[in-house]
Amino acid sequence: MSIPIKIPISSLFHRSASPFFNLSKTPTPPYRFFFSNNITFQRISAKQPALRSPPSASSSVEELPPKLQEIVKLFQAVQEPKAKYEQLLFYGRILNPLNSNYKTSDNKVQGCVSQVWVRAYMDEDKNVIFEADSDSMLTKGLAALLVQGLSGRPVEEIVRVPPDFAMLLGLQQSLTPSRNNGFLNMLKLMQKKALHLYVEAERGASPSSDISGIGDSANAGSGDGGSDLNEDLKEELGRKSVLMGSRGRRIEGILQKELLPTALNVEDISYQHAGHSGVAGSDGETHFNVEVISEGFEGKSLVKRHRMIYSMLQDELQSGLHALSIVAKTPSEAESQAQ
Amino acid sequence: MMMMISMESAVVKLPPSLRTIKLNPNRKNRILRTAPFASSASAPAPAPLSTDPQLGPGSLGHLTRPDFPILHQEVNGKRLVYLDNAATSQKPAAVVDALRNYYELYNSNVHRGIHYLSAKATDEYELARQKVSNFINASESREIVFTRNATEAINLVAYSWGLSNLKEGDEVILTIAEHHSAIVPWQFVAQKTGAVLKFVNLGEDEVPDVGKLREMISKRAKLVVVHHVSNVLASVLPIDQVVSWAHDVGAKVLVDACQSVPHMVVDVRSLDTDFLVASSHKMCGPTGIGFLYGKSELLSSMPPFLGGGEMIADVYLDHSTYAELPSKFEAGTPAIGEAIGLGTAIDYLSAIGMQKIHEYEVELANYLYDRLSSVPSVRVYGPKPSRSVTRAALCSFNVEDVHPTDIATFLDQQHGVAIRSGHHCAQPLHRYLGVNSSARASLHFYNTKEDVDDFIISLYDTINFFASFK
Repeated sequence: MSIPIKIPISSLFHRSASPFFNLSKTPTPPYRFFFSNNITFQRISAKQPALRSPPSASSSVEELPPKLQEIVKLFQAVQEPKAKYEQLLFYGRILNPLNSNYKTSDNKVQGCVSQVWVRAYMDEDKNVIFEADSDSMLTKGLAALLVQGLSGRPVEEIVRVPPDFAMLLGLQQSLTPSRNNGFLNMLKLMQKKALHLYVEAERGASPSSDISGIGDSANAGSGDGGSDLNEDLKEELGRKSVLMGSRGRRIEGILQKELLPTALNVEDISYQHAGHSGVAGSDGETHFNVEVISEGFEGKSLVKRHRMIYSMLQDELQSGLHALSIVAKTPSEAESQAQ
Repeated sequence: MMMMISMESAVVKLPPSLRTIKLNPNRKNRILRTAPFASSASAPAPAPLSTDPQLGPGSLGHLTRPDFPILHQEVNGKRLVYLDNAATSQKPAAVVDALRNYYELYNSNVHRGIHYLSAKATDEYELARQKVSNFINASESREIVFTRNATEAINLVAYSWGLSNLKEGDEVILTIAEHHSAIVPWQFVAQKTGAVLKFVNLGEDEVPDVGKLREMISKRAKLVVVHHVSNVLASVLPIDQVVSWAHDVGAKVLVDACQSVPHMVVDVRSLDTDFLVASSHKMCGPTGIGFLYGKSELLSSMPPFLGGGEMIADVYLDHSTYAELPSKFEAGTPAIGEAIGLGTAIDYLSAIGMQKIHEYEVELANYLYDRLSSVPSVRVYGPKPSRSVTRAALCSFNVEDVHPTDIATFLDQQHGVAIRSGHHCAQPLHRYLGVNSSARASLHFYNTKEDVDDFIISLYDTINFFASFK
């Protein structure tokens, strides 16, 4: 008793959960006696989640760095998938080779089925120069696209490139999602490195001790964290001082004064939480990591230590500070842990 | 009944048994295509007509294909050629129907209710268990524990048997060709108990060195964990011998049969293995269900793995008593529909006959190996098939200077051929072979000779495409 099952082809290619069964119009065979007779089956059409709407094409293209615009237009002009591949491979072939010294784990792009490395450095005009390589030709082509399009550009331009510009290329249909994610991760890594270079350069320009940069130690979230990171990066760059806003400095100041710590580390991780409802409307300095080692914690329980810190930072908490992640140790605890 | 088909000279040797069979003159020869080939790789000679009737029209592949709805579609404008069966198999309509019937007609929680639906569901669920038991020739159905998949089954043995039986200095013997699921749980156990994992390397013919394996099974060995059929090398290990060596020193054996149960007769009593695991989704059954076979005295002595409902007898506030086998190891509501689906898959396979499936797949395996290894610059891993060496119907391979991911992408996008690229959950093996990743084409009994031919032709096209960019 094989019931032929027709599976609409389109539903297989949206990586969505189409329902496993399409309830058919015809009533099912014999054993229905324990069902009431007024039940009929209706065809429930598989509701496809809306395809990621393509970015407003024309405006986005114009916002891209000039060389990237050219590349996008070139790919859009090429219709046939195979020809797009050829174009991609052509780019890959003319990519400058990357010195194997730079094929480090820091430079490796996560989430790629093949191995991809990206290296970034700044030239005298503070433009970011990129180099890349991959052991897969198609991935090398993708890397080459990005290098061609972004290398030699200033940091602001680079970090403003929206992650979904890949769709503009029309390559998405030709490339499997895992490859596409690799592409997105490549872009994100390049943006992160560009920002890092910027921060390093600024740090060199403005002498400040004890200030931890954003994004250095924290991992930029992958996937949907990408566009949020972008927004916050833009915001951060828009400010005069990129490194630590006023709240961060105030937190440092207060804790320094009240606890006389032997070690203090305050880190602004607000960009990781961009998008939470609690963040909306604030000036962006909402989440911090705080590490304090102080004798003042001696004899106090963990809860008590946290309460101390919270009460010191009461004003901040009432004016937009959303959350603190606190590590509070006594000097002896810190030492014994280090052993 | 092995034939070597030589492509260059198109000489075909017919074994005596076939000479009396008339070749079908009407056979549609789909091998010749007019795709242009770049000059860098010579175009393949038209594949010699396979004189093996097992692969011609009317073969098992041709007969069973109509039962698998999913195979009849186009991908990127080309006929789908599904060659990723080692990753997961397709399901016949009967299995799909069984799932639908379960949910439409008698879905109900098992073992607990008294009402009609519940009784029917329980009956079907336990019937499925009996089918699994019969399929692998276990002594009784309570030796079958349903799990989510083979990985969970291995973890069950690791956490339940491993943690309570292994001590510091005890050895667990594995091969470097094991699947990650067979390695990682034992790493956990080794960390917790101080037991030591020892790995057997490959021998000269790219098969785990059976001689070394025998040597490693010393008095300190308490467990041997081995695959039956390798998902990368396509090699088959002599499990019955391994088991007898292990039992001689008092060690137990856990067999990872994921790639064997779907493709050949597996008899746990004749193998005398202590544990055996397999996954439903690789044997034409639904995902979400697998099983552990364990000898009943062994399972009875093991503490529970997951705790909760179903696996208890009496529950007090401070302690509980546990249920009998197999319930002791089946906490919570099981994947009832899926188990029943697995039972239906077993019915389907048994109706064909595992011996018949195996014979067909051996022919197909040899054909695939021959054609693939004849492609220039292709390197296939694992042993060469011969009279004494059978390969499973899969080939992991690499193409010189072309990344396997590029191959797989192009094959998919331009030809609708689905293969896999990556490390196939066998990173230690790939490291040993000195590669990062490989491509893999794996077949099942519903694949046909034409599938292999299409794959090879597409592969030529793919290689030429990338070669022209070097």
